[in-house]
Amino acid sequence: MSLSRADTGRRRLTLPAGVAWSNYALLAIFVVLVVVFCLTVPYFATWANFANVLQRNSVIGIVACGMLLMIILGGFDLSVGAVGAATSVVAAALIVHVSMPFGIVAALALGLGVGLINGFFIAKIGINPFVTTLATQVLVTGIMFVGTAAQPVYGVPESFTWLGLGRIGPIPVPTIIFAAVAILTWAILRFTTFGHHVYIVGGNKLAARLAGINVDRVTILTYGLGGLFAGIAGVVLLGQTNIGQPASAADWPLTAIAAVVVGGVPLSGGVGKVGGAVLGTLLLGVIANALNLLGVSPFWQPAVTGAVILVAVGIDSYQRRRLERR
Amino acid sequence: MLLDMQEIRKSFNAGPVLHGVDFQLERGQIHALVGHNGAGKSTLMKTLGGNFADYGGRIRIDGEEVVLHSPKQALAKGVAMIYQDFSLIPDLSVADNIGLGRDPRGKLPGLISHSALRKRSAEEAEAVGIRLPMDTPVRQLGVAEQQLTEIVRACSQNARILVMDEPTARLAPAEREHLFDVMRQMARSRGVGIIYISHFLEEIRQVCDVVTVMRDGRIVETGAASAYSVPDLARLLVGHDDIVAATANATARPSSGKPLLEIEGLAVAGRPPVDLAIGAGEIVGIAGLIGSGRTRLARAIIGDVAASGRIRLAGRDLPRRTPQRSADAGLVMVPEDRKVSGLALASSIEENMAATALAPRLSRFGIIRAREKRALVESLIAKFGIRPPDRKRAVGTLSGGNAQKVLVARAVAARPKAMILDQPTAGVDVGAKGELHKLVELSAAEGAAILLISDDLDEILALSHRVAIMVGGRVKEVLPREGLDRASLLAAISQGAPE
Repeated sequence: MSLSRADTGRRRLTLPAGVAWSNYALLAIFVVLVVVFCLTVPYFATWANFANVLQRNSVIGIVACGMLLMIILGGFDLSVGAVGAATSVVAAALIVHVSMPFGIVAALALGLGVGLINGFFIAKIGINPFVTTLATQVLVTGIMFVGTAAQPVYGVPESFTWLGLGRIGPIPVPTIIFAAVAILTWAILRFTTFGHHVYIVGGNKLAARLAGINVDRVTILTYGLGGLFAGIAGVVLLGQTNIGQPASAADWPLTAIAAVVVGGVPLSGGVGKVGGAVLGTLLLGVIANALNLLGVSPFWQPAVTGAVILVAVGIDSYQRRRLERR
Repeated sequence: MLLDMQEIRKSFNAGPVLHGVDFQLERGQIHALVGHNGAGKSTLMKTLGGNFADYGGRIRIDGEEVVLHSPKQALAKGVAMIYQDFSLIPDLSVADNIGLGRDPRGKLPGLISHSALRKRSAEEAEAVGIRLPMDTPVRQLGVAEQQLTEIVRACSQNARILVMDEPTARLAPAEREHLFDVMRQMARSRGVGIIYISHFLEEIRQVCDVVTVMRDGRIVETGAASAYSVPDLARLLVGHDDIVAATANATARPSSGKPLLEIEGLAVAGRPPVDLAIGAGEIVGIAGLIGSGRTRLARAIIGDVAASGRIRLAGRDLPRRTPQRSADAGLVMVPEDRKVSGLALASSIEENMAATALAPRLSRFGIIRAREKRALVESLIAKFGIRPPDRKRAVGTLSGGNAQKVLVARAVAARPKAMILDQPTAGVDVGAKGELHKLVELSAAEGAAILLISDDLDEILALSHRVAIMVGGRVKEVLPREGLDRASLLAAISQGAPE
């Protein structure tokens, strides 16, 4: 009951407009922050530093793109860290013992597979995403530790680090992969029936089903993509460390969720844009970098990240609530 | 004077919605508030319910000037709201829900006495003459009983003013009568003032003492309900004389040859089998009481609920149905309750409208054909007269009538051979209802077979060529439209007790 006949012609600030506004607000905050850091933090405003920020955050950005899909669907994935670590270990082992292309392909297939299994349990069996992905996270981690006896896998050829540390021109290779994944995600959400179905299923699962959308298939595919992206991130991680480290990537799930929600995407599902996830990733990355350069103890970084989440998501949620109360 | 609202003003982002409204309610009065969607009646009632901290004007309750800036303040002053979407806690029992927030003390501080609570709730229900199963979780109740639970809760909080927003929208006729009895008793014997918002103009003459008509944020007229005929009210609502409530008789029955949609021995677990055949261009209404199994039947037809039996569409079997397979074959449903099972509220008009048609009609190899999708959506927005005509707008911001049009347009967009409409005009204003009726008739005229479920008997009579009477999950009989009127239809669905 918001419009009378008289004012149908006039645009009003409404829910979608409000969401768009908060996207720009985030962009504005990001730009202001970067400008402030450029002026106040030594060495911040150098290309070497920017490249460093991009290189360090691309891996989590790739994970965040997958997380975005799952959050729009109304879920999330706690197993991305375990998947990332497992793919990097499997890739390392297969690269050492078989061949590089086979190692990469097998690792990505592993990520996709775990994601599809997550989706299967969530859609077909009906376990909620939290429990399902918590279980697969522990399961994958456990199997990986048994398989490696908790020992890192060494022996990946030096040339492989091009994937994680190399540059094409001035731009780090991981950043190019991140950009490709982000553009792919954007294209999926914008141009494919699957992408549109993700929004509708996330917005109202029952309505989606009754409208003739195959909710189970959309769910399984979404988690499959989330796993695949975590697998890509795992391979890039191996490119950065050159060691298949079973104990790595434990912080990915929560960091990726944080990046997405800081990017203005509510966990309730049904809405969200790739731009938000990318911006959220970079915002957290830039802040961590500035603290680093200022010589602040690394122990402070999680605390600052936590505060940023509360403030950014707080502003967004407060806006939303004000709009909804009208 | 129980309630005196004076010069109430309210704006949203500098757009005035209420232009200084005066509204009075006497003790023991049942006062109808009617108006088109967007007329401002919900905003006025939300103001009374304490939803806005920034309204203008003065409110007196029992002569005392009150400030209603929060729902809590409103409740403390005896204003209780009963909305279309209920505010009950589904897994708690009826007794728990009635006593919500007023826990009787147990033997130790911090403990509550469940037996005392149950006893008190039962007494409170009895005091207003309502019988309810006290130990049943609210989830398991029908809509009517949930509503009665809310009413008992409101009364037990010493509500002096009860606001009921479309309370009968989802009630069957017999339950409606019961609700009216309850309302009359509360007004007469307890002196409660009831403000009654409804789109059913006939009901207003039946149950209300006074009627106030709102239009464009102003009061147009107030007077004794008995002084207005239904056409009078309809004219006041729309503000010009040419639109009258859609009560036109159905067009002549099509000379259909073979049936398009055939339902053979369709049985949902524990229910008797249903047989029904609908021809091309035919509208078959399904009338029945709440709980008579109409929605379950609809969901079983499209394959959302497991059932035995067969469905044939245009002569072809639809085995192992799911809603998706049915939609792809040309059998779609407009679900009841647009907020719960109909729309993705945060998504745009375009995304909702294209949801069903997207995969089969508007894409190739999973890639959306954007131009065709946009053209289809634009044409449907124009055809359905959706306001504002902005395809990017979130459906959650639309008025009820426009949101419902989006939902029906979604089904039409898929160019279905057969459509099942479940309460297609519940909670929709008279104007939008008439438009939706025309669009349903148009779909039938274009050759679709249509199954229409509705609690609005006038709607069934206005649109249907034949009417199936459902009692206890079974199609009892199928009657031709000719020779049916409200009274005979009501009699037909009320015979035989529902399970």
